[in-house]
Amino acid sequence: MSLSRRAFFRNLGVDRADSVSPNLIASRGREALELWRNGLNYEDEAQFTRMTEGAVVISSNENPLGPGPAAYQALLDGLDQQAGRYPTNFRPSHRDLMQTIASKYGARPENVTLGTGSGEILENGALAFTSPDKALVTADPSYLQAVGVARRQGHPVRTVPLDANLRLDSEAIARAANGAGLVFLCNPNNPSSTVMPASDVEALVAEVRRSSPDTRILIDEAYHDYVTDPAHQTAIPLALRTPNVFVARTFSKAYGMAGLRLGYAIGQVETIATLAQWTHVFNSNNLANAAAVASLNDPQHLEQERARNKEARDFTIGVFSDLGCEAADSQTNFLFVNIGRPAAEFRNACAEHNVAVGRDFPPMEKTHARVSIGTIGEMRRAAEVFKQVLA
Amino acid sequence: MSFSRRAFVKTLGVGGAAALSGAYIPRAYDLPSFWTPTLLAQEGPLLLHNNENPLGPGDRVLNAIREHIAPDGAPVGRYPFQLMRNLVGAIAQRFEVQPGNVIVGTGSTQVLRTAVMRYTSSSKPLVTATPTYEECTQYAQLLGHAVVEIGLNDRLMLDLDEMAEAAKGAGMVFLNNPNNPTATVYPADEINGCIDKILTASPDTRILVDEAYHDYVTDPRHETQIPHAVQNNRILAARTFSKAHGMAGLRTGYGIAHEDMIGELREFHSGNTVNTPGVIAGSISILDVQRLNEESARNTEARQYTIDWFKNAGFEATDSQTNFIFVKTGMNAVEFRDGNRENGVMVGRNFPPYEEEWARISIGTLEQMEQATESFAKVLRVNATAAA
Repeated sequence: MSLSRRAFFRNLGVDRADSVSPNLIASRGREALELWRNGLNYEDEAQFTRMTEGAVVISSNENPLGPGPAAYQALLDGLDQQAGRYPTNFRPSHRDLMQTIASKYGARPENVTLGTGSGEILENGALAFTSPDKALVTADPSYLQAVGVARRQGHPVRTVPLDANLRLDSEAIARAANGAGLVFLCNPNNPSSTVMPASDVEALVAEVRRSSPDTRILIDEAYHDYVTDPAHQTAIPLALRTPNVFVARTFSKAYGMAGLRLGYAIGQVETIATLAQWTHVFNSNNLANAAAVASLNDPQHLEQERARNKEARDFTIGVFSDLGCEAADSQTNFLFVNIGRPAAEFRNACAEHNVAVGRDFPPMEKTHARVSIGTIGEMRRAAEVFKQVLA
Repeated sequence: MSFSRRAFVKTLGVGGAAALSGAYIPRAYDLPSFWTPTLLAQEGPLLLHNNENPLGPGDRVLNAIREHIAPDGAPVGRYPFQLMRNLVGAIAQRFEVQPGNVIVGTGSTQVLRTAVMRYTSSSKPLVTATPTYEECTQYAQLLGHAVVEIGLNDRLMLDLDEMAEAAKGAGMVFLNNPNNPTATVYPADEINGCIDKILTASPDTRILVDEAYHDYVTDPRHETQIPHAVQNNRILAARTFSKAHGMAGLRTGYGIAHEDMIGELREFHSGNTVNTPGVIAGSISILDVQRLNEESARNTEARQYTIDWFKNAGFEATDSQTNFIFVKTGMNAVEFRDGNRENGVMVGRNFPPYEEEWARISIGTLEQMEQATESFAKVLRVNATAAA
């Protein structure tokens, strides 16, 4: 996930120009650009300059524990080997990783392409499958990386509002898909944290295949491993049996490897081959490849991480509920909470108490805040701050 | 030194539809893995095919990564937003420029791609050489942008006159200096002359100078374009940590340019693409000039040994200023490569139009090169002892 990129687009008004206040652009645009040039996004800077040692950072949907022991050991082993070699000359290579991913789903390496995070998959999807006359369709609000690229390229973007429960509106998305180049489904959806049930995903895909067979469908399952709702299933088997459908996954969330920059796409060979033309050469690093193979071979750790997150998530939902703030039905490692006041106000107040929470998510930034789930200890500390700030 | 002139000019106009039609463009990493079962069965094949630093980034860098992620890897769960500032700051410090003059990427190739996307189009061609580092050419073709390829001159160097001529009205000129695969470098006065000519004759054209191998240059007449780039908002210098810094596996590179140009590139540059180990390693390695000098000296010795070996055996190489040599074996590159592979030595791929007689060989350690020349002798059927 690229916070910097997104902040950059938003603050410059490149993206969602209709919902960004001119004042925000005027006041932050130049400064945001300066900060971004220095490798930081605006909100990180504004918050972190106030943060001191021991801050609770629950702003970027990261896994506070990092990778599991097996993946960490693989990373250390990788450091003992050949950091000077390109990924083809290192074991496990990026191809070994593609094979490991494919095996997990009964597919072939040709069904897989890697990304520098799943962000590269989303950006390449927009480059490969949208054009000046082939729109990108996305929910609103949703994850913006594909949207940012489409807008920059001058390709049209059709946005579909969330429904009353802050879920993706599958029927409205299906209608908007007609003649589009790419439909982007973030499931679970960031920032609203809700999931679209597998039956709705299948119905949506079937409808788009019927009404607009040339349209590609990208299902971003970055938060899949945190879902606990049994109505959800991964769309990977669906993608493997359906033309023009592909799923993006990341190692940045439950796998705890945001700092290693690795994601992948999986789908039918024809779809993946077209997408893979855009793949950057050697886009995954040796240590990421090694840690990813080890973590894919350690599914038990993922179960533990899901359970750990659910406990902290349930606790945090309860805290907000006690404060009269309703959260959407989170199936992720973050909450989208109706705090009844501007997110910026809440964020700045939390920052004063050494707690960093999520940025603005227009068009809901006047009422809703995104809060990532840290460890249970971090959430207990954050809860005390939330009680003070929201009292 | 004079080689048979095979310069040619080719204009490639790939339609914009190519990208959407699924037209397949082969890429370097699409090659079957070099680690065939036969090779894996052998102890330590010599990897002289990817211009890597055989020693890696060194313990100081590796220990810094270990320290950062200890004791349990938790910091790896975080995005490197804050650390990135350290890397950009260290690069700026090293070259005495401002952080706003620096852009970082997944290897320098990401910077190259961004520049191609930003400055070329279907009507504003990329002007590049052939053979040279292919990334810009391939990405422009993928985008459906126009490409003009200029053959090398008879010294196997970039044909600066032809490139400057072709630059008129172009979107961007790509100058790989030193040039991969031919290993040659231009003295500062000549490359500056070419750049000045382009700046004057074609006021909208940008110039991307890829200095991936800069740290291996020993010709004192060579100079980096970085000071030029920060002054002039039409010049971008690209650098990588994959070569002399020994970090090919950590995928980190950067570009340096005028602040205005960096701003233009930012609009087309994916953020958050550099990994935490790469960011930490780069921040330390960039300021360790002594280690870089030692690595260059080590490479120079092994390079000279290899060039001398070929010379004694009757084969001429270009004047290498890199960590690889381009040598006229007189043998088809495929035959030379396959023969060496049988002996457990990997050498470089084909570089048309020179693949009938020329090979690119990366420079490993001196010991590795002594071992490799035994294989070269067998494949080229020369007396190894006589050559040595």
